[in-house]
Amino acid sequence: MIEFKKVTKYYNNHKALNNINLHVKQGEFISLVGMSGAGKSTMLKLLVGEEQLDDGSILIDDIDMTKIRKSDLPYLRRKIGVVFQDIKLLPKRTAFENVAFAMEVSGHTKEQINKDVPRILELVGLTHKTHNFPHEMSGGEKQRVAIARSLAHRPVLLLADEPTGNLDEINAAEVIDLLLKINELGTTVLLATHASDLVNKIKKRVITIEGGQITMEQEKGKYKL
Amino acid sequence: MKFFISLLRIIKSGVMNLRRNIWLAAASTLIMTITLIILSVMTLLFIITSYSVQSIQERVDISTYFKSDVSEARILVIRDELQGDSRIASVNYVSSAEARQNFEENNRDDQLIIDSLNELTDNPFPSTLQIKANNLEDYPAIANMLEESSYRDLIQEINFEDNRIIIERLNSLLTFIITFGLILMVVFCLIAILVIFNTIALTIYNRREEVEIMRLVGATNWYIRGPFLVEALTYSVIAAIITSALILPIYFQMLPKISNYLTPGANIFSGDIKIFLGVIVVQLIIAFILSAISSLLAMRKYLRI
Ligand SMILES: Nc1ncnc2c1ncn2[C@@H]1O[C@H](COP(=O)(O)OP(=O)(O)O)[C@@H](O)[C@H]1O
Ligand SMILES: [Mg+2]
Repeated sequence: MIEFKKVTKYYNNHKALNNINLHVKQGEFISLVGMSGAGKSTMLKLLVGEEQLDDGSILIDDIDMTKIRKSDLPYLRRKIGVVFQDIKLLPKRTAFENVAFAMEVSGHTKEQINKDVPRILELVGLTHKTHNFPHEMSGGEKQRVAIARSLAHRPVLLLADEPTGNLDEINAAEVIDLLLKINELGTTVLLATHASDLVNKIKKRVITIEGGQITMEQEKGKYKL
Repeated sequence: MKFFISLLRIIKSGVMNLRRNIWLAAASTLIMTITLIILSVMTLLFIITSYSVQSIQERVDISTYFKSDVSEARILVIRDELQGDSRIASVNYVSSAEARQNFEENNRDDQLIIDSLNELTDNPFPSTLQIKANNLEDYPAIANMLEESSYRDLIQEINFEDNRIIIERLNSLLTFIITFGLILMVVFCLIAILVIFNTIALTIYNRREEVEIMRLVGATNWYIRGPFLVEALTYSVIAAIITSALILPIYFQMLPKISNYLTPGANIFSGDIKIFLGVIVVQLIIAFILSAISSLLAMRKYLRI
């Protein structure tokens, strides 16, 4: 489903990614681990067209990211859900409205929104917070709203960039469990994190990245550093 | 369907932008209104002045009054001779009887004048040839030619009111209105663009989080940009409505008075609704262009898509 081929990316003169080769199969759950500055976020940004690569190529299904037109990016982004460490919810909107926001953008009708949003909130276990504002929720709950929003377009791929970075252990575990559940329902998940203990519990494929290069690949392996 | 849902959401969001910083919205609308008022007033001045020039030009002629003992046949011979002159467009013969009749018609309501006219035994109105030239510049030469003609003795008076001076004055007033108006317009258009640019830039700043999330969840370019454009266009629509309401009485009540003042006695300007609508449409188009330019510039500078 995703194919990185000899991907190299520079920021000005700084080489952030160096000759990355990676194949992600449909339905996989991949943990991308490495210290801060290793290049994890850069890999995810290339996938949504936020940054352009300098050498090599990236294929998502049969879409060539080096050839995609700017005007087609929004439609690609609707197939890819994205979650960040800093959550990015709209503070003046309720959980329901934050999720609805994503659906409004793509021209869904009110009826569709009213039908789908409660289902998605139920999936992330936040039915009881439907009409609460972000400041009335815990960090973990907020992150689950963000995940709910990223699911609004029923994406085939979910990118999670340090989604547990600001969360305590219990909340972090909840978020990881939710990602695993979403993966079980059929969505391919790419989780970028520097938290080793979390990854060890997941028991899925782990890719270790250091200084812009993949240094280790393990099926259900352990992350050690 | 999807298109209309999105369009509706864009418009709603644009109007919300405007309500969120109402003072800046007011300032933008005000500066746009001032610009449009200047534009409209200049246009109206232009319309009334060129109307006056035209109506004066139509009125210019040489009236040749003949002595009362000259026979009609003789005058008609002179008329035919004048009509042969290539500079002359038309020669109109008004007999003394007709002249009296016209006068009576025009002063129908003034019994005093009619009474005093009736007391006269002779007809005081001379027979007249009204001469119109093809070109305004030819009038002095034609008047001169009459002065030196062989039939000068038959003529009681040659009345050539030289309106060229007033026409020249009006023409230079027109030139002034055009140049001064254009300069003023350019200045105010620039100010309007600047103010709206800043307003939209601030809106973009205020909504940066929303914009970022929109991009994240796959909003199209025009869905993100639309509200900012709608906001700017709303300023022009409101400004155009205010301006139209303000110039409505100017157009229909003041212009006829100005026309009467500039060219007393000539046809008085009567407001044509079509021209008024034309002025409104033109200012709306200009306002739209200004709004579009400033919001697109602001988006180009501050909105990362
Ligand atoms: N926009 C940018 N401009 C310049 N350098 C950048 C930019 N983004 C990231 N970098 C650099 O690229 C490297 C990889 O960054 P990143 O992918 O964010 O790492 P990670 O997500 O693994 O912490 C780092 O050295 C970082 O400083
Ligand atoms: Mg990162």
